[in-house]
Amino acid sequence: MNLLSFYSRNSAELLGLTWQHVYLVVVSTGAAIVVGVPLGIALTRRPAWRAPVLGLANVFQTIPSLALLGFLIPFFGIGAWTAITALILYALLPIIRNTYTGIAGVDPAVREAGRGMGMTDGELLRLVELPLAAGVILAGIRVATVVSVGVATIGAAIGAGGLGVYIFRGVATVDDTLIMAGALPAALLALAADAVLGIAQRRLAWQR
Amino acid sequence: MAAIGGRVLLTLALLLGACGRHDRIVVGAKNFTESDLLAEIVAQQIERRLHVPVERRLHLGGTFVCHQAILAGQIDLYVEYSGTAFTAVLKHPPVVERDSVFHQVASEYSRQFGLRWLTAFGFDNTFAILVRAADAERYGLKAISDLSRVAPRWHAGFGYEFLERADGFAGLSRVYGLHFAAPPTAMDLGLTYRALADRKVDVIAGNSTDGQIAALHLVALEDDRHYFPPYEAAPVVRAGTLERYAGLARALEELGGKISDDEMRRLNAAADVEHRDIRTIAHEWLEAHVP
Repeated sequence: MNLLSFYSRNSAELLGLTWQHVYLVVVSTGAAIVVGVPLGIALTRRPAWRAPVLGLANVFQTIPSLALLGFLIPFFGIGAWTAITALILYALLPIIRNTYTGIAGVDPAVREAGRGMGMTDGELLRLVELPLAAGVILAGIRVATVVSVGVATIGAAIGAGGLGVYIFRGVATVDDTLIMAGALPAALLALAADAVLGIAQRRLAWQR
Repeated sequence: MAAIGGRVLLTLALLLGACGRHDRIVVGAKNFTESDLLAEIVAQQIERRLHVPVERRLHLGGTFVCHQAILAGQIDLYVEYSGTAFTAVLKHPPVVERDSVFHQVASEYSRQFGLRWLTAFGFDNTFAILVRAADAERYGLKAISDLSRVAPRWHAGFGYEFLERADGFAGLSRVYGLHFAAPPTAMDLGLTYRALADRKVDVIAGNSTDGQIAALHLVALEDDRHYFPPYEAAPVVRAGTLERYAGLARALEELGGKISDDEMRRLNAAADVEHRDIRTIAHEWLEAHVP
């Protein structure tokens, strides 16, 4: 088979590109969690922020990826960091929204019980709301990660590397094997990420 | 994908074309601005000289679709590039003898396909090594061979096609002895223009007749060692159509040699940068240059 012989001849390159791809996804999703979860929590405390913040995160989601990279070049140059910035912007919406929805969905009676026990707002968040919302938040992270694996292929358009390199090369030279060489491992990565986070989500549900 | 799309388009074209046509000429074009513009110029020239109805089938799927369509008689003519015909259609290895390409292509097309190449428009849409105009002035860069002086301090960004093709970067760096500060960044072709204008890279490889070159204050360095193959654009017409319409060849020959590289760049910019209608652009150009 064509693809197999291509892989056997280019195994080092394939590994390198896969690693770059994973790096783009992990760093960007990690940063999106660090920014998105606190933002989602803040929205439950400041309802007035909800519409503008979710609206803005929504807008990023609608910008085509090649156009977004184009807009970012003047600020971040070319290479991995521009791609990571774009991936963060795409990952924010599902994380912020699920964090907000998860916490807002906690039974008011449970929250009242916590208050009745003399919990401060911080304790209520840490001991009651976050544990109960964890499943929903993780579902948001899961969506963000899977989407990032797909979108990260476009990083190859600005020299960020990743499996998109094979796809872009294949498109430029009308070579189906080369396109598959990038698309297949990217799809496998997405499935793997989904499966791993799905297991984590089930564990979480089971513990409760 | 492209091949399947091509076949679908072709089937459609066959179905639509089956309704018999004797009193009109069908002009095709590939799926990019320059091809559409040239087809429109050709179409209007035929209309004003021959007073025959011209049907436009613009923005077809690419070289493959246009070639299949003209062979099948679904279009009578379209504008092709000598280098593309040489490598993509006739499957010859990348050229060595620049000057013989056009003649060789013309004679093989005539023999194999019954298609005639008319006189070329005069411009050459090949790869162009582009730098910012300000840099060209500061470092006195006129030709690609001047680039080797500054290359060790510069960064290059190239499209995937240029990095992959036999007549792309590998040969270029060998012929001109170019060694950049780092391996060239592989990027989307459209975004290389942006990266160059925003000073994120210093050299890119674009298309020599691209309208963006002037708009973004870039200059194309001269290929002084004649590395890039010629891509001269000319109308390719079915021999039968030329016989049926006596004045057709003469009308199209009037366009020969009339469009320089600069002129083609200006026309492309009118469409791509100023977003003007190609019918108007073609009409004005014909009025001014082919009275």
